[in-house]
Amino acid sequence: MPTLDERVGDVLHAVHLDGLLRATGRVGDSVFSHAGDMALLSWRSASNTLRGNVALHDFIDQAFAMGVQSLPLVMVTAILSGIVTSQQGGYQFTGSIPLYILGSVVTSSVVLELGPVLTAVVVIGRVGARITAELGTMRVSEQIDALYSLGRDPVPVLAAPRILAGMLVMPALVAIANGVGVAAGMVSAQATVGLGAQSFLYGARLFWHSYDLLYSLMKALVFGFVIPVISVHMGLLTRGGAEGVGRSTTASVVFMIIAVLVSDALFPPLFLN
Amino acid sequence: MAVIEYRDVHKAFDVPVLTGVDLTVASGETLSIVGPSGTGKSVLLKTTIALIVPDSGDVVIDGQSVVDADAEQLLEIRRKAGYVFQNAALFDSMNVHDNVSLGLSDAVIRSLGRAEVERRVAEALEDVNLDAALVMRKLPAELSGGMRKRVGLARAIVGRPQILLYDEPVTGLDPVNSAGVDRLISALAERMHVTSIVVTHDIEGAMTISDRIALLEGGKLRFIGTPEEFRHSQEPLVRAFVNREAAFAAAAARSEAGHEGMA
Repeated sequence: MPTLDERVGDVLHAVHLDGLLRATGRVGDSVFSHAGDMALLSWRSASNTLRGNVALHDFIDQAFAMGVQSLPLVMVTAILSGIVTSQQGGYQFTGSIPLYILGSVVTSSVVLELGPVLTAVVVIGRVGARITAELGTMRVSEQIDALYSLGRDPVPVLAAPRILAGMLVMPALVAIANGVGVAAGMVSAQATVGLGAQSFLYGARLFWHSYDLLYSLMKALVFGFVIPVISVHMGLLTRGGAEGVGRSTTASVVFMIIAVLVSDALFPPLFLN
Repeated sequence: MAVIEYRDVHKAFDVPVLTGVDLTVASGETLSIVGPSGTGKSVLLKTTIALIVPDSGDVVIDGQSVVDADAEQLLEIRRKAGYVFQNAALFDSMNVHDNVSLGLSDAVIRSLGRAEVERRVAEALEDVNLDAALVMRKLPAELSGGMRKRVGLARAIVGRPQILLYDEPVTGLDPVNSAGVDRLISALAERMHVTSIVVTHDIEGAMTISDRIALLEGGKLRFIGTPEEFRHSQEPLVRAFVNREAAFAAAAARSEAGHEGMA
């Protein structure tokens, strides 16, 4: 016969478990609902793009804003990541491992991981947040409703040019970030541990696989798809005035970072084994 | 003949907003919908062209159900209607010409050609008493609130719709501009023979421009009748609205007299 304390404990445990399950259900429901909406948005953007419904000037405007205007910040980030990787490697290798290995470590780190991920983080902050805030403001100021009322679909006008621009611009940005990051690492290695350019490049070539560059650009393509899809989706979902725009922009940035990091984590088991 | 029919329209956003609205609007009629804030006037207006879809009930435009319409039919319904938004909802990055020409379908723009589109846009701007040559290349941010509303109206009429839907067209305007927009609504209804629904808080304006006035409260229609019937109704809610308007008009008159006295 259970005591009163045990019964109360059982009830509390059941209530707690029940609440936990409900919360998990709600989160799961929300995740699947967002995923379904984003899949539909992607499909409709792709079909509008293939049917030629996307205006060239809309695409060029977005590609310019995402690519050319992001380039300075992407380059600064790439230079700093190359320098830091080179200096930390130099610190660890000096006196224990041949220093030319540093060329391989810097190149692999930048091309396989730092170039794509840090460029994605820059684009999330500079472009993804802007897209959500812009579309969110259009939503709360009834401009999206105005498009519908004029018999126009927002997908080819607002979503498709941004997604297409993201997928085409992101690989170019990552390619530039990779080159700049490795070059900065090489210069830094010369300045800090006295490793010459020829030795650095010898080490870089020693473990280089051409596939690494393809892998890096595949990551860029996925990030260039994920960032605009989430930012457009969250912008179009915005409700509730200026406060709502702030809320959805914050949520959008969080979702974009999580999505980039999760897809980044999926790449090695899928493409490096 | 009824052009727009609302049939037992229900809509809830967490709490019920519309709880069974039945309303018929005849061809060429101007109907004003008045009522307290948050009572679902704008929601009802948006259900007309499925910017908001009712939870139950239906809206029928020219015999076509809005709820059951497929994408093509919905496009057709929306092409029949011009919608004037409360804050004009102009696209900030586009100039006035581009904003207004959005009211024409791509097919019409292709068939008309650039010069004819420009002429149609200018004509719509002149119809709403704007100097087309002056405002055509301006951005919305360079216009006053009244001018933005007029540009929004020009965008709604440039496609020559059969129905015009106005969501609080005079909110935020001074009395002179409000009266100007009211005159414009009447003039357009007469000139274009359109069926108009006007959601407004301006009872005096509604009295001037409407063939009938409907009072929406608590998600239901509480009164519908001519402006004369509205003015003389003994319905407590209607009386409260009319009296509030009369009190406001008296206060405005006293204030104006005070200013004249000071002058």
